[in-house]
Amino acid sequence: MIDAILGNIIWMALITIGGVLISWSVHFVPVGGAPAAMAQATGIGTGTVQLAAGAGLTGLVSAGFMMNVTDNLPLILASGSVGAMIMIAVTMIVGSIVYVYGVGVVPSSAKVKVDPITKYRQDLYVSQGTEGHGLPTVSYVSGIIGGGLGGIGGSLVYYSLIEVGMSAGLEAVGVTNSVTGHELVAVAAIFAIGIFFVNAVIPSYNIGGTIEGFHDPKFKKWPKAVVSSLVASIMCAIVAVVAIAQLGGI
Amino acid sequence: MSAGGAGGEAKGGYPPQTIMALGIVGGLVGIYLGNFAPPAYSFFGGLGAICATVWGADAVRRVASYGLGTGVPSIGMLALGMGILAALFGLSVGGTAGPIVAIVVAAIIGGVIGALANKVIGMGIPIMEKAMVEISCAGTLVILGLSVVIAGSFDFASVVQYVVANGYIALIFIIGGMGILHPFNASLGPDEKQDRTLMLAVEKGAIALIIAGFASSLHEGLMAAGLNMLIGIIIWYVAFSKHYALIKRDAYAVVGSGMLPSSEELQ
Repeated sequence: MIDAILGNIIWMALITIGGVLISWSVHFVPVGGAPAAMAQATGIGTGTVQLAAGAGLTGLVSAGFMMNVTDNLPLILASGSVGAMIMIAVTMIVGSIVYVYGVGVVPSSAKVKVDPITKYRQDLYVSQGTEGHGLPTVSYVSGIIGGGLGGIGGSLVYYSLIEVGMSAGLEAVGVTNSVTGHELVAVAAIFAIGIFFVNAVIPSYNIGGTIEGFHDPKFKKWPKAVVSSLVASIMCAIVAVVAIAQLGGI
Repeated sequence: MSAGGAGGEAKGGYPPQTIMALGIVGGLVGIYLGNFAPPAYSFFGGLGAICATVWGADAVRRVASYGLGTGVPSIGMLALGMGILAALFGLSVGGTAGPIVAIVVAAIIGGVIGALANKVIGMGIPIMEKAMVEISCAGTLVILGLSVVIAGSFDFASVVQYVVANGYIALIFIIGGMGILHPFNASLGPDEKQDRTLMLAVEKGAIALIIAGFASSLHEGLMAAGLNMLIGIIIWYVAFSKHYALIKRDAYAVVGSGMLPSSEELQ
């Protein structure tokens, strides 16, 4: 058990960095929750966890697809990152179409007077009694940055876990691509998902409700979540590395 | 997002210790019976998972009454996220003691995450650490219990081969998480009662057993799978009837709205 930990220190460090990136990325994604679903707050009308999980799992799938053809880490990270960015961008585009043409509101933020990117006035368009609605340009850009970071984090975790399994010598015990799938891929994926959920919920407790993106006042709280995620990810990394190293024995 | 709840301590009903004892003892006994009994009796794992689901739902009820600020489902997803790590770790190093190792690891992970949430993030919920430990352990037991139903044992190699590698683990993740997070999320409000919430947890656990029983046909054959599903359906029917009775007890009035009016009547 100690051997497995000492032998995989570098992968554990990468898993921890991946976890921290996921936690940081959540702060960029515009989350509006139930109020946003009723067009009373800015952002996508669902919770942080669902969005982070959606972006992260898409990143995992696209990273896994890239691992079919190459084991070049930068390419895998880029693939995971782009996959997550596309997922979050599509979600936000469809959300914006629903807000503008379905609900009939102008995307505008009540937390800033002018959009930091387009410099358009926001306060004129905010409906009375709401905290803004739709997805202003700055939230959209912020969400894509968040998706990119989350995708890099998720694929970093997944790649590291696969490498740990490869070094444990799993291929020596007759594990093949059977009809029910590849054991190492499945175990690494489910551990990556577990780490992803832990690191998506911790920042959502930090945010506590809605966040519009990097211009939101709550964004300043991210160091707390990153520190918490760092500690939690170190524990997750130890647990995951030991469990995957044990796969070599079965 | 509103978190719901009154923003205070959850009151009434069975004390936390009773539910905790039910969850730990029931969960572990079920998992071990399911492991050592012949494959046809793997439904015991499901009974253990139901006990753990009730425990997890009660812990969610207690902590989410304070108001999490993120909605109740997040804590259920966290429970299963921690649970999946702890469960596979415990099975991989523990051998026969696997489930117990898994619970200890889950308690450590839950305790640290609870302490981080309270001390670093500053959520200020007095029972956060304790509740996180309970939720994490309950999530672990649910995963182990349902894995025993599908694989017939908690041997690491069998669980990896029959539960993880074919993707049933994702199924367990969602149906187990639903059992823990849904009961309080569905029942919260000023008139939330513990027995109604927990009966919903039993019902959700039974649905999980039915689905896991269906999945177990791949490895354990139709007879064992049929028995798993039959037990699940019986528990589901009893729990659903009781839950419906509790809804009628707590409702101001239950009235029939009649059939939809026909187009002539609307003229």
